[in-house]
Amino acid sequence: MTGLVVVCHSRPLARAAVALATEMTRGRPLQVEIAAGLDEDTYGTDAVAIMEAVVAADDGDGVVVLMDLGSAVLSAETALELLDPDVRDRVVLCPGPLVEGLVAAAVAAASGAGRSEVAAEALAGLAGKESHLGVTEQDQITEGTQGGPSAKVRVTDPHGLHARPAARVVGEARSFDARVELRNATTGSGWVPASSLSKVATLGVLQGHEVEVRASGAQAQEAVARVAAVAGSGSGLSTGRALSTGASQDLGSAGENGAGGGPQGRAGAVAGAASPGVAIGPAARLRAVPIDVPDVPSLGVEPERQRLDRALDQTRRELTRISDPIFDAHLLLLDDLDPEARTLIGQAHPAPQAWQQAVAAIAADFDALPDPYLRGRAADVRAVGDQVLRFLVGAPAPTLAGDGVLIAADLTPAEAATLDPTRIAGVLLAAGSPTSHAAILTRTRGIPAVVGAGPQVLDIRDGTLIALDGGSGEIAVAPADAVLDAFRARAAEQRARSQAARSRAIEPAVTTTGVPIAVGANVGSVEEARAAAANGADLAGLVRTEFLFQDRTAAPDVDEQLAVYRAIAAAFDGRRVTLRTLDAGSDKPVPFLPAPPEANPFLGVRGLRLSLAHPTVFAAQLQAIALVAREAPISVMFPMVTTVGELRRARMMLDEALARTGSGRPADLRVGMMVEVPAAALRAADFVPYADFFSVGTNDLTQYTLAAERGNAALMSLSTGLDPSVAQLIDLLCRAAGDRVPVAVCGEVAADEQAVPRLLASGVRQLSVAPALVPLVKQAVRAT
Amino acid sequence: MDTAALTAWIREFARLIAANKELLTELDSAIGDGDHGVNMDRGLTAVVSALDAEPPETPSALFKKVGMTLISKVGGASGPLYGTAFLRMAAAAGDSVELGKVLRAGLDGVVARGKAEPGDKTMVDALRPAVEALEGGGSVQEAVRAAEQGRDATIPMVARKGRASYLGERSAGHADPGATSVTLLLKALEA
Repeated sequence: MTGLVVVCHSRPLARAAVALATEMTRGRPLQVEIAAGLDEDTYGTDAVAIMEAVVAADDGDGVVVLMDLGSAVLSAETALELLDPDVRDRVVLCPGPLVEGLVAAAVAAASGAGRSEVAAEALAGLAGKESHLGVTEQDQITEGTQGGPSAKVRVTDPHGLHARPAARVVGEARSFDARVELRNATTGSGWVPASSLSKVATLGVLQGHEVEVRASGAQAQEAVARVAAVAGSGSGLSTGRALSTGASQDLGSAGENGAGGGPQGRAGAVAGAASPGVAIGPAARLRAVPIDVPDVPSLGVEPERQRLDRALDQTRRELTRISDPIFDAHLLLLDDLDPEARTLIGQAHPAPQAWQQAVAAIAADFDALPDPYLRGRAADVRAVGDQVLRFLVGAPAPTLAGDGVLIAADLTPAEAATLDPTRIAGVLLAAGSPTSHAAILTRTRGIPAVVGAGPQVLDIRDGTLIALDGGSGEIAVAPADAVLDAFRARAAEQRARSQAARSRAIEPAVTTTGVPIAVGANVGSVEEARAAAANGADLAGLVRTEFLFQDRTAAPDVDEQLAVYRAIAAAFDGRRVTLRTLDAGSDKPVPFLPAPPEANPFLGVRGLRLSLAHPTVFAAQLQAIALVAREAPISVMFPMVTTVGELRRARMMLDEALARTGSGRPADLRVGMMVEVPAAALRAADFVPYADFFSVGTNDLTQYTLAAERGNAALMSLSTGLDPSVAQLIDLLCRAAGDRVPVAVCGEVAADEQAVPRLLASGVRQLSVAPALVPLVKQAVRAT
Repeated sequence: MDTAALTAWIREFARLIAANKELLTELDSAIGDGDHGVNMDRGLTAVVSALDAEPPETPSALFKKVGMTLISKVGGASGPLYGTAFLRMAAAAGDSVELGKVLRAGLDGVVARGKAEPGDKTMVDALRPAVEALEGGGSVQEAVRAAEQGRDATIPMVARKGRASYLGERSAGHADPGATSVTLLLKALEA
């Protein structure tokens, strides 16, 4: 029969465990030996004693060894080495739990099971307890990957397992309930955890190298298969954006040789037309200002660690806004840098210095690698390191060096809002989508932009000539003369069209059937309000008051807000101004309204929800609006309304603000809401008694209806244009609104010439678009 | 080195362990279960008794006796780790011992047994640089210095092996007890 050996630190514990197990076998014989403790009361394990116990327990059918922890495992392995090879082959070291495993093993062995079946029973010994306590498989902790499934694969990517494929490997490895390890079999490296990006990258895997994968845990099998596939192909992902190296090389070589082909439709990639217009100019980049780290001693381990946590949180938030594998790699690098820096803080270093040292150390690890491509990854470490360091010391963001076509990974709303149209001919972003905040801001500023062009655009050298069409998404790197001429001709044609539109800009827009449509502008500053008025906007259909609140440490007071609202109203000179109350949240945070980290910022406390959660700030804004409403035709609009209750509470607070600022209600004041949440569109009839107007925010309505985050480049096909489901919701809304409540659209589709006829057919009577687009949209209305 | 010199080395190691028992226990209390000093002292006391009882005649026999005694008497994880090291050293030793070569065999044994990588905050972090120094033609003094540097480098590390790894980041800030005791093994060569 299969023998059992119990190895543990305490002899009394081993005896008691055996007694408990024997009880279960109801008198049937059991071959069980103990190798536990150095003596009756000295804890420890003894490899020689284990070897002797195995020999005693073995009657030729083999032995299953159960161990407690630490030295028990090492001693049992050592004991194996001491055994005769033929006996050794019959011994199974079982990682099952000692007590539960022993009970299960005893029952199995006593009933005549062979050693592998006994070991399997012992391994499953926790099942009863787990199901009773409701522990899922994912909670299980696994130890060691040796003996688990493994695979070997040859790496075909010409760059080897460099940062991006490595990040994908790490991402895959982490997605399974398994502990996965990798080694470079070709160089004979040691095993490293597949969950650590810097560890995987330091394996120095080059094209043609063989990588070995092994795993343990519930999903070990699947994890090994998947990780091996991804490691081997470098692009084994069936989902997400497969960035073929081929494409990247094509683009790179075009940039370097000046032998670019025609304007490429960027087949296979998802470059997005984000802001119309043709731009031609040399590639330019944002340049980081040197970060000044003050020489201030540590404030103590805890405060400094908290400071680091905050900076890491901010950086993670910034990085997670951008959906691209390269930034996934940066996120993973943060995980590797974090413990290093934390340790240094523990040695009385202030957070910025600790972080700098950690970054320098890990970057130096990459610098020391023989492969030039991997060495280049040190730049990734330093880039993400600088990002955190800027948050740690409050240093300013990078500024633009040179004029031309700005190439960047992505732009923060703050960066996009400060672009200078006289210096930036166009914007080309690796990440982002046409409805991301950055894209909207380029459109507002009339800067042609293509977004979501893929990380390979980051490899384009500074000064390389770039031509792009932000209306079609086409880009050409170092274009040939003929191509360049084609872009120039297109630019000329667009200029002619826009001049034609501009000449009629101040005329009202009336459809071919005689329906007048108000075409307004979405504005985010006094300057934009002036531009909108000059472009013939019939009204301000949306004033994004966030611009008053962002990038400052305290809320603007009533007087400051009033001055700005007055200036906007003055710019529109008697035309209606729609002031949207603060629309912030953790997707576009304001520093003085600290929001707890949210797993899904777009589904979190944002828009009106945030204002209602901060009544003091909200009341001050409503007061400023109430004051300006006594001087000019003002509409108040609440963002992200979900329930009638929210709208009523907001109106009540507005009424209180009106009462505080004078007597009576301004005759020209209108109060309405944005329809961005599908629930509000579906129940529009319930809102009708409380709303003077509805304004559809198609960007958010689309993202919530299609469950597709607006900034996610991989979902661009879902989040751009007027989806039929969203059109249907707008139909419902217009039907519920009837003649009583006018419906406007202030999202991006209002400027989409294809969507305009559909919107007007639903019953939309007002459109609001970026100031620069007002003349063109008026032309589109006239053509409908 | 001949059998007599090697035996003197092991006895000096036993003496240093006894003299530093409190230090090792203190280090292990900070990050482990606090038994490293006691365990190693128990093991090496048993080794000295075994050598007294029956002095081995070849380097190989010496290392084998040391290894078998340690795996049986230490009790903690350092038993199988040091024990395996000495058993591998026994296999690698000829009539006269080339220190770099046998210590490399011992190091490989420790790595095979404990599956520790450099940087895991284990005895490997001190033993490996010392072995490399010897293999590179360095003197015993240089090997000791390399071990000491390796030991000190474990102070900021976060343990990834053994019971100390349960402490995660809290394991940083103390030298690893195993790296400390293996440095004593090297130091014993200087006597």
